[in-house]
Amino acid sequence: MAGPVPEGGRDVRLDFFRGLSLIFIFIDHIPENFLSYFTVRSIAFNDAAEIFIFISGYTAALVYGRSLRQSGALLATAQIYRRVWQLYVAHIFLFVIFTAEVSYTLIAIQSPMYAEELGVGDFLQAPHIAIIRALLLDFQPPFLDILPLYIVLLGCFPPVLLALEKYPLVPVCVSAALYALTLARGWALHTYPADHTWFFNPLAWQFLFVIGASLGYAAVDEHHVSRVPTWLSRLAAVIAAGVAVISLSWTLHWVFDPFPPLLAKQLWNHTIDKTNLTPLRLISFLALAASVVHFVKRDNAFLEWRATRAIVVCGKHSLYVFCLGILLSVLGHFILTEFYGGIGTEIAVNLAGIALMIGAAALFEWFKAASRRPRHAAGPVPATPSE
Amino acid sequence: MMRRVLLLLPGLAFVASLASGGEREHGAAPGRDCGVPRELVEDEPRLPGLAERLHAKQPVVITVIGGGSTAGAAAGGPANAYPHWLEAALRRRHPQAQITVINLGIARQTTEDMVQRFAAEIYPSRPNLVIWETGTVDAVRGTDIDDFTAALESGIAALREHNSEVMLVDMQYNSGTASVINFEPYLDALHQVADLHDVYLFRRFDIMRYWSAEGMFDFVDVSKENRAALAAEVYECLGENLAEAVDFAAQ
Repeated sequence: MAGPVPEGGRDVRLDFFRGLSLIFIFIDHIPENFLSYFTVRSIAFNDAAEIFIFISGYTAALVYGRSLRQSGALLATAQIYRRVWQLYVAHIFLFVIFTAEVSYTLIAIQSPMYAEELGVGDFLQAPHIAIIRALLLDFQPPFLDILPLYIVLLGCFPPVLLALEKYPLVPVCVSAALYALTLARGWALHTYPADHTWFFNPLAWQFLFVIGASLGYAAVDEHHVSRVPTWLSRLAAVIAAGVAVISLSWTLHWVFDPFPPLLAKQLWNHTIDKTNLTPLRLISFLALAASVVHFVKRDNAFLEWRATRAIVVCGKHSLYVFCLGILLSVLGHFILTEFYGGIGTEIAVNLAGIALMIGAAALFEWFKAASRRPRHAAGPVPATPSE
Repeated sequence: MMRRVLLLLPGLAFVASLASGGEREHGAAPGRDCGVPRELVEDEPRLPGLAERLHAKQPVVITVIGGGSTAGAAAGGPANAYPHWLEAALRRRHPQAQITVINLGIARQTTEDMVQRFAAEIYPSRPNLVIWETGTVDAVRGTDIDDFTAALESGIAALREHNSEVMLVDMQYNSGTASVINFEPYLDALHQVADLHDVYLFRRFDIMRYWSAEGMFDFVDVSKENRAALAAEVYECLGENLAEAVDFAAQ
């Protein structure tokens, strides 16, 4: 979620890949969407959520790290909490819309055939509790689970940032230990209703966020992404390529049964636990990220293409575009189920959603630029906050 | 992820039915067209043990374990649930064989809950085939996908150890519930497990979605009194197609 423009020039790749992850999240959130064959999860064990959380950690450290250097710990912390507040408000906004949809849908169905499925509507029996639980981030309906994770991660970020300033390697070591213990001990955060847990376990996912933050903080000084040793880049590329081949073979197997799914019996079980960011997903993502950093330099020509710019703008206004994407996937699914028209309709719905996301991002971009421009001699109009 | 490609099927099947002039007639229950494209009913691994018994005209015991939709309360109870219609359809298809279908559906059980019941309720009757309908409650409760998969795999292994052949049935489809429950990871896992462990999978979700796309069962405009009758019709069609699947697997 974009911050003030860095002095060393903005690394457009961050915006681009975050924008891309938002588009993937939109596509993947439409159930049974044919286009999700073409998102990152077809060629990796991870999906767009890892990209989003990693880049969020990276930019948080970059933006608030700079703020820490320039204005001190107190202001940096205050800025972080202003951001947490914005995320919280956005989450509650999405929750209200989601609740409206669920209430409407469940009351419209009313068929006893779906008694078990309607268990999800139990909260309609006790809305007074469900709403308080939602305000406490304790009740997370499906598809509304990334923002609570991000809120918790950012809420715990100030001490991490201060530690990064003094001892750059300590946070990632502590974080790795917490991740390992979480996996080994099966620690989880419980939610409402009592037998549910967080879909994204923050105790596991914090590791990816802190890895991103550690790298992002290093970039505060150097004005460029920390150099990855050549051997490490090569290793990462080999792993990413191997994962891509395996993952693609699984995807192809589902489309065309006789195609053999490579190593599925050995590996598949270890790739599904998204809740706890299973090590194979983490490794797959880190290898992919390191390869991308190696092969796509920050001055790569493709970052100037028109189509690329459109996605970059989405990444710059990621909070708004993210929320819009979540709403659009709900709406898109509704349209597809109500007016089913085959693959043509499906592609049209996807394209319309992406166009709306890009259009909204362009509008925010215009608004931000226009608000900054002083009008006449009346003095500058206060700029809208850029994060 | 396999499932997503099947979204194309209604469109493809429509074209195919135009071309062949009647791909869909199989699976038709008496008095109603329950037809679905063959691809939705036919799956890979066969059931040689069941085939042998049917062929030799020996008695066959099929146990169906599952949740509320197996119990059939929406249609007035087991007498109208799909296992009942499965039994009727199989008896019609194999008049000489002595076929018994046992219904062990209980509402609101997770996969793990059902596995716990195997020893007491399934093994003693030594079924030749166990049809296992599961996944709904896990998706609704958000069971850890790891735990769901592990329970499913242990259940399949245990049933096979007790000399039963296994068939899996996935969730029901309804456009409303599909938009508020995140079924996809559980469907994917169920289908993956079926594929990895060579289990015949009955694609109830896709079949019901096909019916929904074709506008076959209208739940919106049905009056309260007629809901149970409509549910019974859906179950009858499911039982008919399930019988088609069992027959296909037991060739």
